[in-house]
Amino acid sequence: MRLHREKRVQATVPTASMADIAFLLIIFFMLTTSFSPVKTSVDLPASVERAEVEQNAAIVAITAQSEIVFSDGESPGENMASPEDLAPYIQALVKSIPNKQFVIKADRVVKYHVVDRVLDQLRRNGAKNIGLLTEQKAPPRS
Amino acid sequence: MKLIIRRQPAEVPTASMADIAFLLIIFFMLTAVYSSTRGLEFAFPKDDPTQLNVQPQEAVHIKVTGEASYVVDRVPMTLGQLQAYIQQKMQQAPDKPVIIHSLPDVPYFAMIDVFDVLRQQKVKNVSIPTQTEIERWRTWGYLE
Repeated sequence: MRLHREKRVQATVPTASMADIAFLLIIFFMLTTSFSPVKTSVDLPASVERAEVEQNAAIVAITAQSEIVFSDGESPGENMASPEDLAPYIQALVKSIPNKQFVIKADRVVKYHVVDRVLDQLRRNGAKNIGLLTEQKAPPRS
Repeated sequence: MKLIIRRQPAEVPTASMADIAFLLIIFFMLTAVYSSTRGLEFAFPKDDPTQLNVQPQEAVHIKVTGEASYVVDRVPMTLGQLQAYIQQKMQQAPDKPVIIHSLPDVPYFAMIDVFDVLRQQKVKNVSIPTQTEIERWRTWGYLE
């Protein structure tokens, strides 16, 4: 009697769904990414307590070299020669949205007098709601 | 003579799709800049130069004099001592105002460290006066 040889199935790794998974991941990243209008890179100070700042808040970035970049939260950042130059921008924003949040994104090593002059301008020109961006710091061990 | 035509099933080659997609993911991951969207919040009081929102004499006065040097109510302290001091003050009077007065040449993070301690101790009434306000207080004799 002649035995029938079993038909051999070729061993393959099913990869058909890999592309679906990868594109799903891309779509997820694209939807969850928020674009910041101020691309200025700063080394933020760290704090244990942190609250979420408002979306579309105006941003005042201060670099370690004391350069100031301002954005109203929608348009790209604009370089300011001095903190006093912020005044007309702050006034215009406060006039249209009285409770507009202003977020200070300052480098951790910048001298405090630069931040102080920015805060002074914000206060003089009617800003009320301020946020100071920080990195997460590990809570102290008790 | 009869011709035999072998028909191959029509298919779109998708084997490289996963490679392209993963390449795109890696590209986005490498080029992404992660920006913080969290921080410490506070509100300015109404700007009325004729009125004091915080009475400097009743408040805890924290002077940031250097990277890790603080003078609290005229006593030099470390950050740990400051935390314990504020904790004790808040137990006695939870509404007690606290003023953070940073000297112009201290790095910004020194002020943030103090502000963070106050937030951790749930201090409600934090005042960060600007140099203009400090000068005003000095004129009025509230500060030395």
